[in-house]
Amino acid sequence: MRFAVDTGGTFTDLIVEDDGGVFSMFKAPTTPDDPIRGVLDSLDVAAGALGQSRRSLLGAGSLFIHGTTHAINAIVTGATARTVLITNEGHRDILVLREGGRMEPFNHTVPYPDPYIPRSLTFEVAGRILADASEIEPLDEAAMDVIAQRLAVLNVEAVAVCLLWSIVNPAHELKVAEILKARLPGVPVTLSHRLNPSLREYRRASSAAIDASLKPMMQAYIGTLEARLRDAGFAGRLLIVTSQGGVMDASDVADAPIHIVNSGPSMAPVAGRAYAALDEASDTAIIADTGGTTFDVSLVSGGSIPRTRETWIGQPFRGHMTGFPSVDVKSIGAGGGSIAWVDGGGLLHVGPQSAGADPGPACYAQGGTCPTVSDAALVLGYLDPRFFLGGRIGLDADAAREAISRDVCEPLGLAAEDAAAAILNIATENMVQAIADITVNQGIDPASAILIGGGGAAGLNSVQIARRLGCRRLLIPDVGAGLSAAGAMMSDLMSQLRRAHFAASAAFDFDGVNAVLDALEAACRAFADGPGAGSLDQSVELMAEARYPDQVWEIEVLLPVRRFAGPADVAALVEAFHQAHEDIFAIRDAHSGIEIMAWVATVRCRLRETVEPAGARAPSAPADDAYRSIHFLGHGRAEARVLRLEHMKIGEAVNGPAVIESPFTAIVVDPGATVVRRPSGSLSLAPGAALRAEGSA
Amino acid sequence: MSPRTGAPVADGVRLALLNSRLEGIVRKMANTLLRTGRSGVLNTARDFSCCIVTADCELLSAAESLPIHVLSGPDMMARSMKEFHPRLARGDAFLNNSPYHGCSHPADHTLLVPVIDEDGNHRFTVEAKAHQADIGNSIPTTYHGRARDVYEEGALIFPGVRIQRDYEDVEDVVRMCRMRIRVPDQWWGDYLAMLGAARIGERELLALGEEVGWDVLDAHARDWFDYSEHRMAEALSAVPSGTAERASTHDALPGFPPEGIEIRARVDVDGKAGRARIDLTDNPDALACGLNLSEACARTAAMLGVFNSIDHTVPKNAGSMRRIAVELRQNCVAGIPVHPTSCSAATTNIADRVANAVQAAFAVLADGAGMAECGASSPPASGVISGTDPRTGRPFVNQVFLGRSCGAAGPAADAWQTVGHVGNAGMCFIDSVELDELRFPLHIRARGFLPDTEAAGRTCGARIGYAIFGPRGGELDVIYNSDGNLHGPQGVRGGADGACSRQYVLNRDGREVEVPQFGRVTLREGEFMCSFSCGGGAYGPAFERPAEAVAKDVGQGFVSVERARSVYGVVTDEAGTIDAEATRLERARRESEGDGRDGS
Repeated sequence: MRFAVDTGGTFTDLIVEDDGGVFSMFKAPTTPDDPIRGVLDSLDVAAGALGQSRRSLLGAGSLFIHGTTHAINAIVTGATARTVLITNEGHRDILVLREGGRMEPFNHTVPYPDPYIPRSLTFEVAGRILADASEIEPLDEAAMDVIAQRLAVLNVEAVAVCLLWSIVNPAHELKVAEILKARLPGVPVTLSHRLNPSLREYRRASSAAIDASLKPMMQAYIGTLEARLRDAGFAGRLLIVTSQGGVMDASDVADAPIHIVNSGPSMAPVAGRAYAALDEASDTAIIADTGGTTFDVSLVSGGSIPRTRETWIGQPFRGHMTGFPSVDVKSIGAGGGSIAWVDGGGLLHVGPQSAGADPGPACYAQGGTCPTVSDAALVLGYLDPRFFLGGRIGLDADAAREAISRDVCEPLGLAAEDAAAAILNIATENMVQAIADITVNQGIDPASAILIGGGGAAGLNSVQIARRLGCRRLLIPDVGAGLSAAGAMMSDLMSQLRRAHFAASAAFDFDGVNAVLDALEAACRAFADGPGAGSLDQSVELMAEARYPDQVWEIEVLLPVRRFAGPADVAALVEAFHQAHEDIFAIRDAHSGIEIMAWVATVRCRLRETVEPAGARAPSAPADDAYRSIHFLGHGRAEARVLRLEHMKIGEAVNGPAVIESPFTAIVVDPGATVVRRPSGSLSLAPGAALRAEGSA
Repeated sequence: MSPRTGAPVADGVRLALLNSRLEGIVRKMANTLLRTGRSGVLNTARDFSCCIVTADCELLSAAESLPIHVLSGPDMMARSMKEFHPRLARGDAFLNNSPYHGCSHPADHTLLVPVIDEDGNHRFTVEAKAHQADIGNSIPTTYHGRARDVYEEGALIFPGVRIQRDYEDVEDVVRMCRMRIRVPDQWWGDYLAMLGAARIGERELLALGEEVGWDVLDAHARDWFDYSEHRMAEALSAVPSGTAERASTHDALPGFPPEGIEIRARVDVDGKAGRARIDLTDNPDALACGLNLSEACARTAAMLGVFNSIDHTVPKNAGSMRRIAVELRQNCVAGIPVHPTSCSAATTNIADRVANAVQAAFAVLADGAGMAECGASSPPASGVISGTDPRTGRPFVNQVFLGRSCGAAGPAADAWQTVGHVGNAGMCFIDSVELDELRFPLHIRARGFLPDTEAAGRTCGARIGYAIFGPRGGELDVIYNSDGNLHGPQGVRGGADGACSRQYVLNRDGREVEVPQFGRVTLREGEFMCSFSCGGGAYGPAFERPAEAVAKDVGQGFVSVERARSVYGVVTDEAGTIDAEATRLERARRESEGDGRDGS
């Protein structure tokens, strides 16, 4: 038996996989004061439902996979360690300057961001290496020793070291580490060239700074989690979800916690990819995860999980770069809690402000008075006020109607239902734009993709989104409301290694490049034989980070060969680059050579027999027949069939208008759409004819 | 239209949906340009813009870009295209870099692609404009500040010349560029990037028109302009009616009168009517140098000052611009240039002075409106470097962005430090030290900010940004126009003025050697250029700055304990812990002495 637990903002989701490979989903409220309690609570819920004690449930477990936002929360709330940055003389402002750039050039209300590590805790040391690895100034070891002594007095809890060109000659960074170790025994140190051997000093410095600052608390969190799980009877292996859509041993995460900083949204695409393949035999999928406040969207193309080379904590240019690639997920402020408002010019907006979980939408009657997407859904009849979240929260339809009437109907002169439909329309459009942004940026026509709806609020408008995008299929997995936990269950043990080594196609350095690839593959093999020992399958993928000469933004290209034997191999790489560039940017410079800045190897060790879950549990009761009046977008009121998800038989087809409800979500099946339940338990919908884009509220 | 009634526009829902679609298209164009451009000015400085104008040549939607690029000009270039090429066909593309035909300055090559529907009707024009690393000037810079006229400047001027027909290049034009432009492969790469962006915009607009109907898009444009105009009227009505005039002076160029070039802007706001009028006619005649503004830059700089002064969420398009009247005159340094007046550096030096004067004038009208002045551009650390790379024997020329600050304080927040200059607004990236040292034979010894150089105010202007750099293994030419050595950025409403810019060379003996303020300097191995940018002006008196904000700067190491006390009247220790009682007494004492009201 295996467990995957994802601690989200509102709920802690648990997927239990039995030995037959069948998934069951459970939820418990997240407990921010002690998140591990929420993890144990979710296990209690599962144990209760499965009719056994928590100890015997955990005792039967071989693997416990945990997704946590503990690290990012610590950064956002400023609860990280007191951390120092050591850098070159003359470059103290490395974290202040960042890489420049700004969003909203006319917005002068946002102050210049603070550096990740205060300038007062950034220390300069003389010594300089150049790009060709030569030393033009030796490291001032005596001065470094004085700094180290001062740090001891300053009660520093962690140290990050980033020196220019340490990636080609790490001697100075290593020496600094030696001095720190002598003067500050026990204080964790992160060296930039070891953690993130890539070009661009700001990114490396930021990586090191973030990593060091997380070490003390993440070591404590992981230690406590492990101890409490052991106490509760778990004797298996503990893995943690990473930002790259893989899992790592908990102890490795404690040593380099930066790898989990953006893990929150990284798993939904992993699950989405598996369900697209299993249910629809497709390797192209848009995964849209709709929660209360954010809409996370990602694109799986050709079966690969999308990655971005630029990951920000917070907003671009206002936050901090992690310096690491991560699963490419675009988040916008759109979800069930998004607030609808009308500006001075009479334009309706939905979000990005959110009523969140507290005070929540007006219909929660917990103090919220702003009209939200959930309120609109209630007015339109999408939600059953008595069966929201399985009846755990009663909804107040009058409060919803009143909020919409006051803030939307009056300024726009619309009737309540038309206003509610308009809110859903705008929310849908915001989501469609977010999807269009990521798909068009990657040259993928959304019409060729399966749309996967995850998260509790996905069912409200996913058919509408699919129609707007022209997707032929919308898929809502059985465990869609816990897509991240399901993804964690399916993910591979993974490690990614990078070596900065410049090469140009015009004068290709065969020996140098092949030596780098040898070293990378050897490191991958060591990983496969170490943490990956006993895994079912191991694979190594090699990529080049390349560009046309004089470009500064590289793109990743899979190597067409394992090693470069001659000009034909280089030509194959150049052609692969041209193709990738054309796919992404619509142009190729066919006569140009390319430059390779870095080489990347990814090793994956498969932990599951099959990627996909084995199938749904049998329907729990015969289907019942109920109807309710619902307002559908672009259609108006209709009597819709109301079904319970757990009663739907495999292969049973239902035509819209209908709504399918479960204790976790409600799925709206518009008139013209058809839904069928797949053997896995997923709902597969044919969205039907697309409406014209101007929409009719 | 009465601005406060909130009269709803035709259909707020459809309007939002279609606007979002159009913004998606220009964003996609911009992303293509950024990621595929070859020159630093494009892929690092983001010195480009992408927009859609209507068939009537009105700016409809622009991607977020350098403000000086796009507010005015796309309209004029589209009109030139229609005038010179009355019969437009699908597959056409036109090249415009003429400051006499709507382009900002000759370095900004602009591709215009008419979007032609199935029936052959011209529906929209998409434009992709990108600053080139080189345009074939007489010296290797795209900002030839000292050029007497367009002939000495030396750029090839394209007043809306056909460069594609049936989606194929007009090779004659391409060959001309290749024969004239330094490092022609780099230009070619940037041309491809612009073309990719424009063609993507065309493709997406055709699909949108097909999907929703061209008439619906036309109706949308009308409604969107009305909506935007309404928002602008509402924003201007928040500013008290009145007239204010401010001057901002560009340092003297060699061979010109030493008092410099004073630029005056008069701002009339009629809050009740929701209108603003900017008068730039009281300025000197065009000068025999490259600093004269193009009409596009004169209008844009004036409007930039307005948009910087009001609610930033007002859409920037032809609709909102209906409420801004910009008065210009022919043959004026900040007006409408007459050929062969040179406008080589039209996007920076004088344009910055115009925008700064306008936003400072708004601050005169009301506390809470306008902004202080941003610092002047561009110190050597943002200059054009050129030479021959000793590692490869290949020539190189490129603009670098090693670090400058120049941000002005606004009423709501301290300066955005890395603004660069007012027309850039901080959009420019800053070069990675390692990336530059890899690409060019450079050694960047130091860069960052100078503590205790911020402009003190209720909100503070930027501190000095500096960089110290030199060649590795050969010689390096640096060309720059460093305005602001004498006339630094002015504060407003009692805020202090920002620091002036400065530059010198450190020779091999470690001695400081004076170098020209505007010029070309050749550095030998072992010599270093030391570049100090302007800061930016402050807003409001320093004694009104919250003590916590001062203490935070002290804690970061940006403001000394001594300066906190003497300039802000805040008593704190090095860690930034405030002595509240001592601070209260210090501020009260200064208040009674009438000290510190100008905050310096």
